[in-house]
Parts: sequence; C-alpha cells; structure tokens
Amino acid sequence: MDWKKFLIAFFAAFGFIFVFGFIWYGTLMYGAHQEVSTLFRTKPDFPWLILGHIVMAFFLTLLCAKFVPAGGAGTCALLGILVALIYVGAHLITFAVQPITSKILWGWNVGALVQFAVAGAIIGVIYKPSVPATTRV
Amino acid sequence: MKRFVFAFLAAFIFIFLWGWFYNGVLLKDVFAEVQSLFRPREEIMSLFHWIIIGQAGLALSFVMIYATGFAGGGIAAGVRLGIMLEILAVSARCAIYATQPFPAKFLVLVSVGGFIEMIVTGLIVGAIYKPAVARTS
Repeated sequence: MDWKKFLIAFFAAFGFIFVFGFIWYGTLMYGAHQEVSTLFRTKPDFPWLILGHIVMAFFLTLLCAKFVPAGGAGTCALLGILVALIYVGAHLITFAVQPITSKILWGWNVGALVQFAVAGAIIGVIYKPSVPATTRV
Repeated sequence: MKRFVFAFLAAFIFIFLWGWFYNGVLLKDVFAEVQSLFRPREEIMSLFHWIIIGQAGLALSFVMIYATGFAGGGIAAGVRLGIMLEILAVSARCAIYATQPFPAKFLVLVSVGGFIEMIVTGLIVGAIYKPAVARTS
C-alpha cells in the first residue's frame, strides 16, 4: 500500500465528507430536522461528530484501497454508492422505528449517495499506487 | 448468479432473524428506556415493510460489494468486509450520538450487535458466494 497517497486521499475524503455534511445535513436540512426537534440535541456534540467523520473517511479510504487497488474515480465512486446503499437500508429501518418525516428520510438518502459517491471518486483520483518501474532491454 | 441469489437470501434471513432476536428480545428493556425517541409499537408495525426493505437492501449491498471486490478471498474476506462495513456504521453512530440524545450505553450495545451481525453476514456470504473462476479450479 502506498501510505503517502493513502493519507492524502484520507485527508481529502475527510475534508469533503465534513464540509458536505455541514452544508447538506447541518444547513440545507436544518428546517426539516427542526420539524422533529425533540429527536435532536439542541447543539451537536462536535468532538463526536468530528471523530465519526474521521473514522468514516479512514475506513472508506481503506475499503477503496482494498477493493480497487488500481484506483480510479469511476470504480471508487461505484464502491461509494454501494456503501451508501447500506446507509440507505439503515435509514429505511430508522424511518420505521423513529418518528422522522419522509422529507428527512429522503434527504438523508440523497445526502448519503452524493457524499459517498463523491468521496469515493476523490479517493479514486488520489489513491493510485505507483506502478513498479520496468526496464526495457 | 445462482450463488449470488443464495448468498443474498441467506444474508437477508440472518439479518432479519438477528435483528428481531437482538433488538427485539435481548435489548427490549434497553429500547424501553429511550421509548420517547421511538414510534409507538402499533406505528412501527404499520411501517414494518420499511424494515424488511431496509434489511433486504443492506443484504443486497453487502453481497454486491463482496461479489465485485472481495469474492476471491472466501470466508476470511467476507468477515474482513463485514468488520470494515460495521466500523463505517459505528462512525455513523458517532454522528448520531453527536446529534440525537441517545445514551452512550444504548449505542454501544447496538454497535456490539452490529459487529456480530456483519461478521456472521460476511461469514455466510463468503461461504456461499464463489466467483466462477474459483469454482471451476
């Protein structure tokens, strides 16, 4: 594994996931979340939010490195979409058991698909292990 | 394709039964402590189809990720994939803890169940699904 590129890909993925999360879930979906404000804390616990995003970015990068050793935006974006579909499954279960609105459900689902597809593409572009040099005789 | 369908069905049946046994039976009292964050039982039953669809989507995504990137590694690769995907789920639970007033104990117990669920799912999928090349050799 090329650890230097792995770390750069991880930092880039973390930056994107965190900024996207802030804009999508924290700003654009703020009104939707306020409709069921009793389900949410009045102020997010930021250290846990940041830790969650770090772990998320790290393991998505690790998954891409194992799944697509050659890298590539398209293939890693596809993996991101497949990972997002697992989150979509979890969101559907959450919708059945917690009183969130369907607006929140579909907002979370679209957010997860965009977030993981783009984060996967970013990782795929950056994480490309260098091909060993070959000598022509 | 036949093995893909078998792996999906086996994974889905396990996830469904484990979800019912762990969350519905073993953690019944733990869920009762945070009842205010959940729908009433009758409402959950009326939305039960979303739980089925969510769990089926989760099983399908797992088998798709395994089949497209990990299938050569057998049971060990399935278990590794399960652990990686559950760590991604734990990262999402950190974000849930940061934004929703769940007690830490609740999320830790749900995560313990999640690890068992994904490890066994990986074991099942790894044992059933074999890529065409591996089967013929």
